[in-house]
Amino acid sequence: MKKYSIVILALMAFTTAAFAGTQATNTNTVSPTLQISANVQKAIRLTLSTGTAATPHCTVTATGGTPDYTMSFGTVDALAINAPTCGSVFAPAVPGVDSAIYWSDYNLTPMFTGQSTTNNTITAQVTTNFTAADISVVRDTANSSTVPTAANQFSAVGTGSADTIVTNGANGTAVTRFIGVAVAPTNGAGTLTGAQTATVTFTLTVN
Amino acid sequence: MMRANENETLKAPFSPAAQQAGKVCQGTRASSHAALIILVLVLLTFSFPLNAQTKVTLSSAPGGVVLGGTNTAATAGFGTVNALAIGTPTAGLTVIALNNGALYFTPYNLTIQLNGNNSHTATVTALITTNFTHPAALVLESCPNNLSCNGAGQYSALSTVTPTTVASVVGEVTVTAGLGIFVPDNDGAGAFTGSDSARITLTMIDNNSGKTATATIDVSVTSLQTSVQLTLGTAPGGLTISPAADYSANFGNVNGLGIGPGAGLSTLSVAGGSVYHTPYLLNPVFSDFSSTTATLKVSVSTNFAHPAILALEDASSSGGPYSVIPNSPTTLTITTTAANRGSITRHLGLFVSNVNGPAAFTGSDSATLTFTMTVP
Repeated sequence: MKKYSIVILALMAFTTAAFAGTQATNTNTVSPTLQISANVQKAIRLTLSTGTAATPHCTVTATGGTPDYTMSFGTVDALAINAPTCGSVFAPAVPGVDSAIYWSDYNLTPMFTGQSTTNNTITAQVTTNFTAADISVVRDTANSSTVPTAANQFSAVGTGSADTIVTNGANGTAVTRFIGVAVAPTNGAGTLTGAQTATVTFTLTVN
Repeated sequence: MMRANENETLKAPFSPAAQQAGKVCQGTRASSHAALIILVLVLLTFSFPLNAQTKVTLSSAPGGVVLGGTNTAATAGFGTVNALAIGTPTAGLTVIALNNGALYFTPYNLTIQLNGNNSHTATVTALITTNFTHPAALVLESCPNNLSCNGAGQYSALSTVTPTTVASVVGEVTVTAGLGIFVPDNDGAGAFTGSDSARITLTMIDNNSGKTATATIDVSVTSLQTSVQLTLGTAPGGLTISPAADYSANFGNVNGLGIGPGAGLSTLSVAGGSVYHTPYLLNPVFSDFSSTTATLKVSVSTNFAHPAILALEDASSSGGPYSVIPNSPTTLTITTTAANRGSITRHLGLFVSNVNGPAAFTGSDSATLTFTMTVP
């Protein structure tokens, strides 16, 4: 009987006592656990930035608010007399008849994750147009990264519907496009001078 | 009037009517010396109660440790103790975890006898007459009878030199005081595990008569054990680390672009996706080890169901670089020099892939990290 008692006491003395996973006695190690959980969501992002093509650029400025970005062409006129504040200008083919085009390259960077497909499009639409009738927003008609060489390579950005300007852009890769303002040589009613602003909404859709 | 016989002892009559006519006093055969002795004995008997003495005795207090031994040579067993207050203490003991150890304590009763003089005051002091063999590992403490003795701040260390007041009383009374053992954090060369014992001598002095009495308590510890503890906590500004089994942290909605991190989270854009990251705290505590440093490791013990989309990472600073935490049994060493009670701020990252197409995943997922602290 005495021997049994001694054995039991010895076992008790060397028993490691663990309390939850965070603490223990009579041992030199302890292993608490941390469960990490998360809910993975689809995400999509379209950013604009100043162009990088081999042509002068107008700066695309992120505002951090609304609107998201701004680009200013400075002082413009229908005869392209004013030198471009930034970017480039195409003088009218027929002064007094055709519009002058002040333009610049810019970059669009589509990013998306968790999507079941990589097919995507980027569209552009003038959602708030200039007040004046003699100025309008134009884009490169070809929807390419090739630097335009003439005024007739631009066309008006849709105001009633969106224009597709990028198809299946590479995820995370900047795409170069060109945007500008066409200043028409109009006179009389509806012709305004002074500061004018318009807003273009770009939409990235992955489907 | 006749005089009484000179051999007669003066004796007051029980009733004057009972006196014999003509006698003032009644004669007896007893001698005057014997009568005087009897009178003194009677006076002594009625002047002092039976068992009246100057004495201090010890007994168990309700809810406290059951004292053994005798009432003047008591024993108090504290059983198994540790510096982190881990586990249930011996019956009757209360343990409080402190930021530098643990305090085990019990109430006990002192009964003061002052030779029947209830107007006298008395003081009981305690002195360690035989200290623990390892006084750096086990510290005897006492709480005086005028306190509730249920908080660590009410206890103070007993001395081997200077008596500590245990009780101050008026008259004969039974009071309750507290007896404690402080088990401090004690790593390094002075670390100790095992059994130990000590003796406290209680001395009572009748402040009016100057008489003294003593009693002793032999305090024993069956086993002072090593103890380890590793807790996780929320870092200032970081993601909430919640107590669970053992802890949990929810990164909430995440995506491969790092858009919209939740409270306490920041994001980094990295190749192939984003890292949501947060600081968090590792709080190592250990005692009675010869080593003063510990090693902390981490591994993924249960991986995400979609490991290509989500991965857990670790970094020493918020900006990284972040290292992928490997799957168990492989571990990632966080530090080999963790100090006792030295909180460590670490950064936990959750990599979220930006993959699209058939491999893409959306929805909830979870994984479990196991942290291991080892004190060599």
